[in-house]
Amino acid sequence: MKHVTPILLAAASLALAQAPGPIALRGARIVTVSGPVLEKGTVLLRNGLIEAVGEHVDLPKDAWVVDAQGVTVYPGLIDALSTVGLPETPAQPAAPRAEAPATARFGGNEPAMPLEQGPEFRPFTTTWVRAADLLNPADKRIEETRSAGFSSVVTFPATGIFAGEGAFLNLSGEKQGRMVVVSPAGQYVTLTTHGFGTYPGSLMGVIAYIRQVSFDADHYKLELQAYASHPAGQKRPNYDRAVEGLLESPRLLLPAEDAKQLDRMIRFAAELKRPAVLYGGHEAYKIADRVAKSGVPLLVSLKWPEKPKDGDPDQEESYRTLELRDRAPSSPAALEKAGAHFAFYSGGTAAKDVRKALKRAVDAGLTEAAAVRALTLSAAEIYGVADRVGSIEPGKIANLLVVKGSLFDEKAKIESIFIDGIKYEPVPESGPPPGERAGRGAPGGVE
Amino acid sequence: MKRFALSLLAMLPASLLAAGQTIIIRNATVLTVTKGTFQGSVLIRDGKIVEAGEKVLVPDGARVIEAAGQYVMPGIIDCHSHIAADSINEGAVAVSSMVGIEDVINPDDPDIYRALAGGVTTANILHGSANPIGGKCQVMKMRWGKDAQGLIFEGAMPGIKFALGENPKRSGNAGGGFGGSPGLRYPATRMGVEDVIREAFNQARAYQKEWRDYQAKLDRHEQAIPPRRDLKLEPLVEVLEGKRYVHAHCYRADEILMLLRVADDYGFKIRTLQHVLEGYKVANEIAAHGAGASTFSDWWAYKAEAFDAIPYNAALLVRKGVLVSVNSDSAELMRHLNTEAAKAMKYGGLNETEALSLVTINPAKQLGIENRVGSIEPGKDADITIFDKHPLSNYAKVEKVFIDGELYFDRRKDLEERPGRELRKKALIDKQKALEKKDRKKPEATDDKKSEEPGGDR
Amino acid sequence: MKTCLAVLLTLVSLRAAGPETILLRGATVHPVSGPDIADGAVLVRDGKIAEVGAHIAVPKGARVIELKGLHIYPGMIDSATEIGLTEIEAVREMSDITDLGLFKPQLRAAAAVNPASEHIPVTRANGITSVITSPGGGIVAGQSVLMHLNGWTIEDMAVRAPAAMRMEFPHIRMPNRFGDSEAPARASAYTDAKKRYEEQLRELNDFMESARRYRQAKSAGASDFKTDLKLEAMIPVLDGKLPMLIRAEKEKTIQEAIAFADKQKIHMILERGVEAWKVAAELKAHNIPVVLPPTLRLPDEEDDPYDKPFSIPGELSKSGVKIAFASFGPGAEDNPRNLPYEAAAAVGFGLPYEEALKAVTLYPAQIWGVGDELGSIEKGKWADLIVTDGDPLETRTQIKQVYIKGTSVDLENKHHRLYEEYLAR
Repeated sequence: MKHVTPILLAAASLALAQAPGPIALRGARIVTVSGPVLEKGTVLLRNGLIEAVGEHVDLPKDAWVVDAQGVTVYPGLIDALSTVGLPETPAQPAAPRAEAPATARFGGNEPAMPLEQGPEFRPFTTTWVRAADLLNPADKRIEETRSAGFSSVVTFPATGIFAGEGAFLNLSGEKQGRMVVVSPAGQYVTLTTHGFGTYPGSLMGVIAYIRQVSFDADHYKLELQAYASHPAGQKRPNYDRAVEGLLESPRLLLPAEDAKQLDRMIRFAAELKRPAVLYGGHEAYKIADRVAKSGVPLLVSLKWPEKPKDGDPDQEESYRTLELRDRAPSSPAALEKAGAHFAFYSGGTAAKDVRKALKRAVDAGLTEAAAVRALTLSAAEIYGVADRVGSIEPGKIANLLVVKGSLFDEKAKIESIFIDGIKYEPVPESGPPPGERAGRGAPGGVE
Repeated sequence: MKRFALSLLAMLPASLLAAGQTIIIRNATVLTVTKGTFQGSVLIRDGKIVEAGEKVLVPDGARVIEAAGQYVMPGIIDCHSHIAADSINEGAVAVSSMVGIEDVINPDDPDIYRALAGGVTTANILHGSANPIGGKCQVMKMRWGKDAQGLIFEGAMPGIKFALGENPKRSGNAGGGFGGSPGLRYPATRMGVEDVIREAFNQARAYQKEWRDYQAKLDRHEQAIPPRRDLKLEPLVEVLEGKRYVHAHCYRADEILMLLRVADDYGFKIRTLQHVLEGYKVANEIAAHGAGASTFSDWWAYKAEAFDAIPYNAALLVRKGVLVSVNSDSAELMRHLNTEAAKAMKYGGLNETEALSLVTINPAKQLGIENRVGSIEPGKDADITIFDKHPLSNYAKVEKVFIDGELYFDRRKDLEERPGRELRKKALIDKQKALEKKDRKKPEATDDKKSEEPGGDR
Repeated sequence: MKTCLAVLLTLVSLRAAGPETILLRGATVHPVSGPDIADGAVLVRDGKIAEVGAHIAVPKGARVIELKGLHIYPGMIDSATEIGLTEIEAVREMSDITDLGLFKPQLRAAAAVNPASEHIPVTRANGITSVITSPGGGIVAGQSVLMHLNGWTIEDMAVRAPAAMRMEFPHIRMPNRFGDSEAPARASAYTDAKKRYEEQLRELNDFMESARRYRQAKSAGASDFKTDLKLEAMIPVLDGKLPMLIRAEKEKTIQEAIAFADKQKIHMILERGVEAWKVAAELKAHNIPVVLPPTLRLPDEEDDPYDKPFSIPGELSKSGVKIAFASFGPGAEDNPRNLPYEAAAAVGFGLPYEEALKAVTLYPAQIWGVGDELGSIEKGKWADLIVTDGDPLETRTQIKQVYIKGTSVDLENKHHRLYEEYLAR
């Protein structure tokens, strides 16, 4: 323990109530998620990991015991799609960048032809940008998100068609390196168009473009393999940064807000033969069975559709719009019933409003157990880190949420959050909610 | 063929009779279009027309549709439409053959239902006209209530859209681009339009050769990796190989001839010329090439290239031996293609059958689906529209529409269900108003408040 | 064939002639203002209808035109067009519809109509004999003209110049999101639009006040009174002598327009009242006639029944509101020659046939204040007549002859010429 003291002193200003040695929370109601709920149990944490959990746990002599009667312990919540931790302005410009210069066909006097169509043309594409490389541990939103009960977020760059590679982060907010649990976690894809002036300017164009890049990636692999096996006498393949970024992404995140888009993207992912995760999901209640059958995981946004704040009050809203607003919160329940694999993300909802949004889903039929799972283990499974986080099991990272009561009781306060075994207390709110900061679209927002 | 939950269609009636039934439409005036007109009945089984004649025996258990005094004709086919798709134009590049309507089918578009209510059963959904070579098209049946895959006309030959004249060159002229594009896009003249098309097929030929060389290598058991797939050139190779129809938007006589010659040079046929408003000037050449013509009934003077358009276009082309259809290019006009067809009787003297053919068997032939639809003949799909008066009358209303023997539109049912739909909507509106009230009463520090603070606005 | 030849020869000889005395007979006459006359006759003298009946004696020197098996109807009237002010819609240089500014009452459509426009022969060939041509844009757009589709000059053509003062009533205009753009609407779109609308209302009220004060100053005859052409143009409106053609589509806008017309004590005609059916009672109570939006249009709201636009004319007619059909052309989908089919489309969905026919003949004549000059086949009215082989509201019907002010007009037009030319190729 000798080396702990200097570390302690260094970290004194950053963490609160950090006890040296193991910590035990005793007598709490424990929602392990991976197993049955323990009405009265104990969790033992050591070295940032969960050492033991159960109704009766033998506590080591040096354990710091916290009386946890009357509280419920959950795995730390995971926001499955976020931009928390990244700087406000995008690190990369979103404008299209031609990788190849324009070649005038007959001499240089004519106006440069618009750059297009060459296979190296990759507009709005920054597949190689890694959220893990851009982390700003001082991002105020980290603290706000943590205070709302989240121990982890999966953060992605958000601008462009291929926006970049995300990272599964613990919200410890100290050192960048320490925050990353896994990177890359996936490739964030949007179907945003940029008007008529530049390709792709339409939804059709964006889809065709993504398809082409995916095929290019397949071909690139073949090319590299062929060259590597026998370089002599062969023309060497061009280095394609965008394709490299795509190839190293373990999964694609594809937008799918309404039913037809869900249908489209399920089909698209199968066509591209790449692992995919859909995000949005507000009309999943209409095709929950199809989603379940496809096996494609779905991240459901907790930012339920609202009436636009500055709409024309005399303009009649369509039945479709009204129905979506009414039924969207029932999508998680429908997904649960169908046996689909889904998790939640904030989608621009302020961290502090997440519980209210969650309650709407529960009121619409989602079971509490499924609700918790969608905020914890399911997210971990979707990102392939269920072996190390997302539930309260021995060996897993010590990410816990301690609530004075039930997570589903709006009046129940969050007592503390443990991240990597370090205890944090929620900070009271101040300033405008993070989801509404000017100029920054939240990821996975409504199209 | 998955179905959405009926709640999606709460505002519009879903299909009313299951497929596989035996149905007889009885005692009507049957306009077969290809086999004459008679007073009689049409027998449908398992989605196909089984019999049509003056005396048709009613099998046991058949569902009887009494159609006395009514008129039965083949479902209307619109050869040029842009409904049911979430995007229409990829205009930023001159050649956008990599994009396709099949990727953006929108089964929720209310215009599908409205087209049904106008008697349309099949439509050719095209990419827009912003590019000399546009995107891939999709033939669809108006099977309201089915999902995207369910709308597709299975087995129809794939198509691609070309465009000549003012629209594709607009983006090459300053201030002319769609939506105010910042840069200029080649081409800016009709000369450039030809160049873009020739160049694209030039590239397509080279691409085709790459793949043939690759195949040859494989045949010789040599090591080879396939060429990079170029999604832009693949559809053009299909055109060269006669596996994809070209539907070309065009107006002026000279550009029509230009395209026919380009096609001849590259060894393929233009399947249909769309709009083709000056087609009448070069009818002989169009007939010789074997291209079909799909035109407006009587639009004119809205663009310079439409100034010589005449409502006699369809009739004149028919007289010169061209396969002609009348289309809508409009979600509104689609609803009354029956009276649009009648205009060719007024302007040019086509007879009734010729006029009805313009919106039934002729577009079916143009789309290569005449073995399936376009007339009332045994063996064809039971795509049938029933009017309360002669379809060429301006007073006629659509009563019922069958697609594949399923009743997709029934006017009476539509009328009956209106009060219910209104009530359901009102219930939703009231429910949401109540929720809003509840939210306002809650003394929370809401987002609304915050947004009035400086820096808190979006 | 013989009849055709006879008709053709008659036409050829009539083209050069001035108003002749003509007896049209043997046809079914549809006066519109009264019952049909089988085997009837119409006597035309000095450009007017001299007599209508079952048997008319042939006056000396009259040319007799036998029309056995055919029909005679009044020429049709299109209550909203831009004929003469535009040739090719997309070509800016050919359009004279909208000038700059918000208040332009002094601008006269009659000053800019091109009597040689191709649209004129094309349109009258389908039986439309007179149209309202209106300027556009701004709030007070200018003076509309009611004109015959025949004449060398506007003086020849004009029936009423001005026929009305046209206005587009201020309303909240939400920005339009075109095409595939995924750009979200600006968060304050409605608030901004509302501000602009309120500003326009204020400006409108200010303008009306200025007009009133001007009129007062003029009648007071002050020595330093200076003529202001803009405000001068408003005097007939304020005097109730010139109606105001007010375009208002939505319920709220229509109601505001009615209140405005009431307050300003002006005589109002509602143009393109898409939601007029929602305020039918008010319109009837104020005796405000409605120039209908095109019948053949998509439902105005997503959840509207598919046939709502077709059934609205019938609803309004039943409520006792006077209606007139209009093409709002020339344009791609809006073609003045298709005016009768706008009327026909409403017949299947609740508008009685007689009302539909009246709404393209007698009612527009009455609405435009020329009810004793046009709109039906009655003694004393202008001889605006069409000879057909059937119901003019049906597409398949051929128009055989058209008379405007008693002169048989040449039905030849660009379209027919090109047809003949290329048929022979």
